[in-house]
Amino acid sequence: MTHSSKTRKSNMSLLQRYAAAPHIVWSVLFIIVPLIFVGYYAFTDVSTGEFTFSNISAFFTKEYLLIFGKSVKLALIATAICLVLGYPIAYFMTNCKPKTQRLLMILIMLPIWMNFLIRTYALMTLLQDTGIINTFLSKLGLPTMHILGTETAVVIGMVYDYLPYMILPIYSVMSKMDHRLVEAASDLGCNSFGVIRKVIFPLSLSGVISGITMVFVPSISTFYISQKLGGVDTLLIGDAIEQHYTAANYNMTASLSFVLMLILIVGLAIVNHYTDSDEGGGMLI
Amino acid sequence: MKKFSNFYIGLILFLLFAPIAVMIFFSFNEGKSTAVFTGFSLKWYMELLKSSEMLNALKNSLILAIASSMIATVIGTMAAFGIHRMKNKYTRQSIMTVTNIPIMNPEIITGISLMFLFVFVGGLLGLTTKLNFWTMLIAHVTFCLPYVILNVLPKFKQMPNALPEAAMDLGCTPFQAFFKVQLPAIMPGVITGLIMSFTLSLDDFVISYFTSGTDFQTLPVLIYSMTKKSVKPTIYALSTIVFIIILILLLISNREKSSYERLEAKKAKAEKKRQEAIKNAKKAAAQKTKVKVTAPKAPKRHTVSPKLTKIIALVCTLAIIVTFCVVLNIASKETVTLNVYNWGEYISDGSDDSLDVNKAFEDYCKNTLGINAKVNYVTYTSNEDLYAKLSTEAVSYDVIIPSDYMIARLASEGLLQELNFDNIPNYELCIDDSFKGLYYDPDNKYSVPYTYGMVGVIYDANVVDEDDVGDWDLMWNEKYKGEILQFNNARDAFGTAFYKLGLDVNTTDTKMWDAGLAELQKQTPLLYKRVMDEVYNMMETGEASIAAYYAGDYLTMVENQADNIDLQFYYPENTNLFVDAMCIPSCAQNKELAEEYINFMLSEEAAIANAEYICYASPNKLVYESEVYKEDMGEDAFDILYPTDFDFADKYDANCYKDLDKKTKEYINSLWNRLTITS
Amino acid sequence: MKKKLIELKNICKAFDGEQVLSNVDLYINDHEFITLLGPSGCGKTTTLRIIGGFETPDEGELLFEGQKINDVPAYRRNVNTVFQRYALFPHLNVYDNIAFGLRVKKVKEQEISERVSEMLSLVNLKGFEKRNVSLLSGGQQQRVAIARALINQPEVLLLDEPLAALDLKLRKDMQVELKNIQTKTGITFIYVTHDQEEALSMSDTVVVMADGKIQQIGTPIDIYNEPINAFVADFIGESNILDGVMLSDYKVRFASHTFECLDKGFAQNEQVDVVVRPEDVDVVPVEKGMLSGIVTSVTFKGVHYEIIVDIGGFKWMIQTTDYVAPDALIGIYIEPDAIHVMKKSEYSNMFGDYSTFSDEIDHLSDVTEDEEE
Repeated sequence: MTHSSKTRKSNMSLLQRYAAAPHIVWSVLFIIVPLIFVGYYAFTDVSTGEFTFSNISAFFTKEYLLIFGKSVKLALIATAICLVLGYPIAYFMTNCKPKTQRLLMILIMLPIWMNFLIRTYALMTLLQDTGIINTFLSKLGLPTMHILGTETAVVIGMVYDYLPYMILPIYSVMSKMDHRLVEAASDLGCNSFGVIRKVIFPLSLSGVISGITMVFVPSISTFYISQKLGGVDTLLIGDAIEQHYTAANYNMTASLSFVLMLILIVGLAIVNHYTDSDEGGGMLI
Repeated sequence: MKKFSNFYIGLILFLLFAPIAVMIFFSFNEGKSTAVFTGFSLKWYMELLKSSEMLNALKNSLILAIASSMIATVIGTMAAFGIHRMKNKYTRQSIMTVTNIPIMNPEIITGISLMFLFVFVGGLLGLTTKLNFWTMLIAHVTFCLPYVILNVLPKFKQMPNALPEAAMDLGCTPFQAFFKVQLPAIMPGVITGLIMSFTLSLDDFVISYFTSGTDFQTLPVLIYSMTKKSVKPTIYALSTIVFIIILILLLISNREKSSYERLEAKKAKAEKKRQEAIKNAKKAAAQKTKVKVTAPKAPKRHTVSPKLTKIIALVCTLAIIVTFCVVLNIASKETVTLNVYNWGEYISDGSDDSLDVNKAFEDYCKNTLGINAKVNYVTYTSNEDLYAKLSTEAVSYDVIIPSDYMIARLASEGLLQELNFDNIPNYELCIDDSFKGLYYDPDNKYSVPYTYGMVGVIYDANVVDEDDVGDWDLMWNEKYKGEILQFNNARDAFGTAFYKLGLDVNTTDTKMWDAGLAELQKQTPLLYKRVMDEVYNMMETGEASIAAYYAGDYLTMVENQADNIDLQFYYPENTNLFVDAMCIPSCAQNKELAEEYINFMLSEEAAIANAEYICYASPNKLVYESEVYKEDMGEDAFDILYPTDFDFADKYDANCYKDLDKKTKEYINSLWNRLTITS
Repeated sequence: MKKKLIELKNICKAFDGEQVLSNVDLYINDHEFITLLGPSGCGKTTTLRIIGGFETPDEGELLFEGQKINDVPAYRRNVNTVFQRYALFPHLNVYDNIAFGLRVKKVKEQEISERVSEMLSLVNLKGFEKRNVSLLSGGQQQRVAIARALINQPEVLLLDEPLAALDLKLRKDMQVELKNIQTKTGITFIYVTHDQEEALSMSDTVVVMADGKIQQIGTPIDIYNEPINAFVADFIGESNILDGVMLSDYKVRFASHTFECLDKGFAQNEQVDVVVRPEDVDVVPVEKGMLSGIVTSVTFKGVHYEIIVDIGGFKWMIQTTDYVAPDALIGIYIEPDAIHVMKKSEYSNMFGDYSTFSDEIDHLSDVTEDEEE
């Protein structure tokens, strides 16, 4: 009776053995092979087809390293802000009535379902010198703010676009948390801050990790947000990739993508090493 | 604490929704502005219904979303079934790791990697169109699959192992068991997966952007090309509708969910009552009285009823049929598709009661030529974009409208086809001789002029001092730091520097280009941004105050400028002259119809409509000699476009951009990269 | 003359190289209530699944009315199963669950309706047709599962620990009910359980299994009174199992004392296992006892006291209705018919000493393992 995983071998084998096959074939063809192509283009010269390190070494020039540094910096800032803003929301939500919780979930999810291009654009019209905020400020006789075109604007855009991706996984982990644990902790003498620090936060860590990944990855690779909200000096790695793509410079497109991917893989591996969330936690809504 | 948390939640929600609220609000704006509300109107909604471009993109998005979510759901559900039963832990884990790659990988890399594959395979197969509906479909299925699997797999795990065995025990074959028992049990997961795939596919921009071809443009890709310019409130109207639909869907699904939760609660209650009943019964038994234990009447069953399953199955089948028909429709040769690749906002598109030229052409084909033609209209933002697309052969176009130097380049690289002017009789009739035999096409083989014009400087008179205007120095004036917009393409940007320095814009001397670069680098700290079509929005709203751009576009900006903005325009003494002309690239699949299209564009009605819409000067006699046109444009505008005592043809040769030799081009590119990337 | 309905001949089965069944030979008569009894992992469920068609044996033959059916898939066997956790279809209501098998066979709806209501009255669930199965109590779900299987009029009904998930009281009721149903319908029941009491009270024949082998087949009385080896003796009821020597027929020596017994046919001085059931030992004053020892613990069990007595280093369990004080020195007396002598087996010296309560601990872990499945 402990062998039920094997049991249908004889009867269901046909159905089962091949059920995953289309997916496996698909994954190899359209996930693995394309990534190999990225590597291929990163290490060859498109016109001659010869192997070369020049594309990759081009990345390690001052210009690209600066861009890359800026991308990492802005993405980290945006992720940190999302965490600081989002964590309390998730925590407060779990303290609401179930009905309110559901409503809040919908409200927080709703912006995700709006096209992010439009959201970003709408944000841009808000932040413009003659946008709503500044019009409002000047009507109140306050000095106006010039935000668009700065790094601040890009960070605001990232936070605005990706904040829900931070809240949802944290919330979904927290809402599954056994409430008695909190009671047990207070019973054992924790004050409410202690409860958060010693019980709630460690237990919600998997949600935090997947939230961080879900904000950081799109932030570091974005090109639309920086294009719309940034200025001359907010070129990010995503912009550089997109620029090379539009200019049909496949070698540089590939090499930048390749390096970005490598760094993210290493980063995620480190993160995964320190947490044992196996299936990406509560990223699903 | 409670008060604070409520306030905090409220604040964050407010911030999340403020831009959306603004968007909804301005979708009802009468004016075009997205900053100043001038009055309530539904006109953008009406315009939306009329906009064939947007409706077509919406249709495409829906087709793609339905098809890809269906395929992903079928493959993904099967995969989850297989993975669930997989014995080897390592196989299982590695499959799951690969499955999750599209979720974990940045979208831009997924998109680019797929694009590489498609272009490579397309090249091997010798396809003219390497990116098309099918490539997008593959891309969308690829990124939807993990979401389906992640939703379905847990349902398989929750399902008792014995369930399918029980079905077989009762006489089902393994296949029957799957459909009669397992599928209903995992149905909630399948449906969630389906819905998620559908919405993800419908909403996807980044991956679509890299894998879409010309003949199939989805809504987000269209929105992207539209937001490169000033956004029309029609997009707001569309988004508002989408927003409301999603809101309703979410509320409905929430109701479903809560009714499910109610059921769970009832279950718990029933269990409690049962326990009590048992207790009572025991007591009663102790008193030697027999009490019949009956469970309380359970509520009506609430799991996915067979009826609902049937409805879903029906809907799915219908959707498959519809998709099939549409796909067949795409594939069928009955309708001829003409792929037109043009600058953004470079054709009269039917908004503001203008003539929808593409639609008029379709009608013309149908009524006069008896062909079912469909114009597929796609836009680009710079000549270099166009060149990149053409040279990689990832896509196929029938008509393109590049600028002069690009025409020369394309022609020299054999990327253009010679036109058969027998099919374009209007050419002889309408095009002024001064626009024939220009340097880029000395033998009049490849091109038919569409518009021409000059680059000038636009400024906001409320910000800029009148004393500072007049020449290129304004673009380098430190007083206006952070207010200046520069071209975001190498040729035009270097052009401004060269004219300022009084250099030859077509020099092949690298030292000159270095000098140009130095000048541009000097300018960089003063710049707000390098832009192309975003210039409209930025100037109209006063976000920036100085920009070099094309004369015709200035007129458009003036029309749309915000209340407190006063845009003015001047031509510096030396400036770029350009001609944009219609050509047929060598990858065209429909040359005759393309020529028909070019001819149609020259006809009076279409030409005037275009000239009035895009506000560029027209080389077409039927236009500039038309009194109606003159009147419509107004005298000031006419003077700007067609300055008196200015012989265009005469000055053209000296002030146009020419196609440079490969080495210089590469050199300029490297300078440009250095400039934009280091800044 | 009883008809052999199912016959297992030399059945072997291994999973991942681990032998689960080795050389199982068994026949099952028509209209019989047969129980496969054994601890978890003994192969009883695998045997059942082979009969049900969910496993194919690696070796050996499975005969149904004399026909080999090794390769006949589950859905073509005239055998139905009541699964351990019922495996009711959550998306169907009570009626549709019961009607499932008939619908698959494309029986007319009218006939289905008649047979379903017949079944519902058989299992005492009239009026529950429209209920959601997941809202039923365990016992009700159990009945639905039985009805769902029986409606197909199988020749054999396989029951895989059907009562394991029920609480004690309900389990007792259901045991009676199951037996009634079997008698009423006359269908052959093959019942799998690890609960020896359940096995003894319901079955016509009990098959005791351990380590993939059949240890003993017999009526409940035979199995209890004449266990074939130490394993069976220990698994069925409580027993004190001691090493002994058969001095001659009717004479056995163990615990340094020679006893008269009713067993014969052993070789002279053969090493044997001796079983003495705790209820068959009489407590007597020391001077009257055949053996004597010190009481180490006394537990009140309601009907009797259960005492552990240390006799020469071996801990005996004795059930007595008279109270004995702990640490008291007592004598015990054993009638010849209370002694059962068995041949030595691989299980000798593994069971029957009450120095620890390993038996009960085994029993507990048994249950949790089942739960996990």
